[in-house]
Amino acid sequence: MKTAAFVVALALAAPAAAQTDRVTLRPYGMITEQAFSASTTFNAVFGSAAAPFWGAGAEVILPHQVYVDISASRFKKTGQRAFIDNGQTFRLGIPLTASITPFEFTGGYRFRLRRRPNLIPFVGAGLGWYSYKETSSFSGAGEDVDMSHLGELVVGGLEFRVHRWIALSVDAQYTHIPGILGTAGLSKDAGESDLGGVAGRFKLIVGR
Amino acid sequence: MLRSRIAFFTIAVIAVAFAAANGRGQTPTRYPVVLDFTTPPPIVEGIFASLQRSPDSIETKMRAAIRTSAVPLDRVGGSGAHYIAGRVIVKFKDGASTASRASAMATARARSSTQPSYANFEVMTIDPSEDAEEAARSIASRPDVEYAQPAYRVHTECASGWGTPDSNGRCVPNDAFYIYQWNLPDIDIERAWNIQPDAGGSVTVAVLDTGVAYTNVTMRHHANAFTITSSGDVEPPGFPGTAYPALGDLTLTFVAAPELGPSSRFVSPQDFIWNTNIPVDLDGHGTHVSGTLGQLTNNGTGAAGVAYNVKLMPVKVIDTEWDDIFGSPNFGTDDTVARGIRYAADNGAKVINMSIGRTGPSAPAVEDAIKYAVGKGVFVAIAGGNEFETGNPTETYAEIASRVKGAVSVAALDRAHNRSFFSSTGTYIEVAAPGGSFRGFPGCGIPSGGGILQQTLDLDLVETFDDTPANFARTPPRFDALAYFCFIGTSQATPHVSGLAAMLVQQGYSDPGAIEAAIEKFAIDPQSRNPRGGTRDNDVGFGEISARATLRGLGLAR
Repeated sequence: MKTAAFVVALALAAPAAAQTDRVTLRPYGMITEQAFSASTTFNAVFGSAAAPFWGAGAEVILPHQVYVDISASRFKKTGQRAFIDNGQTFRLGIPLTASITPFEFTGGYRFRLRRRPNLIPFVGAGLGWYSYKETSSFSGAGEDVDMSHLGELVVGGLEFRVHRWIALSVDAQYTHIPGILGTAGLSKDAGESDLGGVAGRFKLIVGR
Repeated sequence: MLRSRIAFFTIAVIAVAFAAANGRGQTPTRYPVVLDFTTPPPIVEGIFASLQRSPDSIETKMRAAIRTSAVPLDRVGGSGAHYIAGRVIVKFKDGASTASRASAMATARARSSTQPSYANFEVMTIDPSEDAEEAARSIASRPDVEYAQPAYRVHTECASGWGTPDSNGRCVPNDAFYIYQWNLPDIDIERAWNIQPDAGGSVTVAVLDTGVAYTNVTMRHHANAFTITSSGDVEPPGFPGTAYPALGDLTLTFVAAPELGPSSRFVSPQDFIWNTNIPVDLDGHGTHVSGTLGQLTNNGTGAAGVAYNVKLMPVKVIDTEWDDIFGSPNFGTDDTVARGIRYAADNGAKVINMSIGRTGPSAPAVEDAIKYAVGKGVFVAIAGGNEFETGNPTETYAEIASRVKGAVSVAALDRAHNRSFFSSTGTYIEVAAPGGSFRGFPGCGIPSGGGILQQTLDLDLVETFDDTPANFARTPPRFDALAYFCFIGTSQATPHVSGLAAMLVQQGYSDPGAIEAAIEKFAIDPQSRNPRGGTRDNDVGFGEISARATLRGLGLAR
């Protein structure tokens, strides 16, 4: 019932920053838990298809409730090289460290809830540049991976102002990152070509 | 009173001991008689340049003739396959009644039927003059029988302290003869050793073969007479030809091959040819195969092996010339091999090496046993056959391997990465490994030699039947001398695969089907040395095994 009421309120929301046309810069720190689309691949190597990203960024609140966001984050984790046969995974004890460094640019719109001015729903979409590195023990020349690719993202969430200068934000972001997975390795065997996934992001925002 | 009792008791004990030592009762002596487990140290010799274990050598043909003819029960079936007369392997369907079993025995005019240990089938004893193939057909046609077959005969086919890896990540051992072992770098084992310095130390590999020179023991055997005919065949005494005399009782010293390691390395040895648990090698084939699989490595001497720390389980299932001349109670037949497979699976082996050849009709008892082993998590490697130039018949066991995920058939490559001239071809060939060839690469113990070098019995002292009857009579065989010989064959290719499989088990591949899938996936084109990506042909199957790539598995993106 509460959820339904919230959805209705969101639909009726007026722009949140309608009372001001100021441009505001708001830096933030961010922690993300991402469920990778390439779940079989990540499960095989790390024993889990979800992993945290840590990052920071800055939002610029523009007039007319438009915002732009630029962020950088990083995932780094060590697992094991593996082999998948017939749906069964065999982890081989050979350390593999993968890191993903996304640089994302998002533009979106912030809504204003008349009855809850300290709650600000927002939606956005953007592009990212994703750097991927994979190193393994006993690698020879050319066997490690260092590549990058563009990806797309959409995001939607809710900001909650807890103090005049502090806000918390929770959102869900979907990224699609082609061109890195799927041409070799476990991801090819698993038929998984998307390095992205669905992320739950928590931000601590400083600024008005 | 007490004194007289002690005196009586002492006399009785002496009398019994004397009788035991000298008396010959009515019961014939059962050979082999184990006399002692301590022996003089082995005679260890260097490299012998002999090429006598080439599939096309005169010596090989001679040995085949002896095996055929020193066994009076050897018969040739309609397909050309040899079998042992007087027995039929039968598996009844579940729930077959005692009455129906008796009826089946009557069908074959069988005298008795027993289920041996490590078997899910029975072996019926029939009159040796009966056609076992015909008897098997008539039994197999019964609705209560799953399969019935003659006992077809099989034959041999033919870490620390290493220093740091070189700039290419290769661990190159310091064994003196390693420079002649082109076959090991050929499968990229040096970089695999870098990944897994323990090289299979927690894994047991069963070597189903002619036995292994794994222990020191003195045994007494009895050598019967035989005859070599003018056509070169060897027949029992009485046939026209050159008679080789009976050597009578022979006290023979068997020694452990020092390069196979200490006795603690050997687990659950079993001999299905002589019904003992001392499966010593009377041929040299099993010892050579074991060396390629697991020879001690980086110990500064001798040669190296693929998985040099594996535990070895010697399981003797092949009879060779001396077994036949000595009159072994069993032969290397399908039932023996099937029992050996089941024994290995039931006693902790994770990999079974079968450098065994067999052509002719199907072998359901062995197929059943292979499936049983794979079902228990055991990977099986089987020689693909050496008969390309002799009609290229389908290898029965290798063909089974091609249908069972978790068992692979192995072709042989020469050092130029071509299929060895003898290596059988067909749709059943799954992978290839170095098996050597002397064509184009003659010589042994030279850098350009094309054979697979390992320590084994000194064949010149074993194969005395290659000599004249007079010399044969003067020089009983010896099994206490070891030397380095170059063999070639798919028998030699197979332990490369078994050794790799053992390392894969240790690395985390716990399912035999996955081991096969991985070995095939990472196999390379022998010529281009690039991954084949799952394409196969009838010469080398999915390609040449690549130890390092298979062991290393895959990352997320590469």
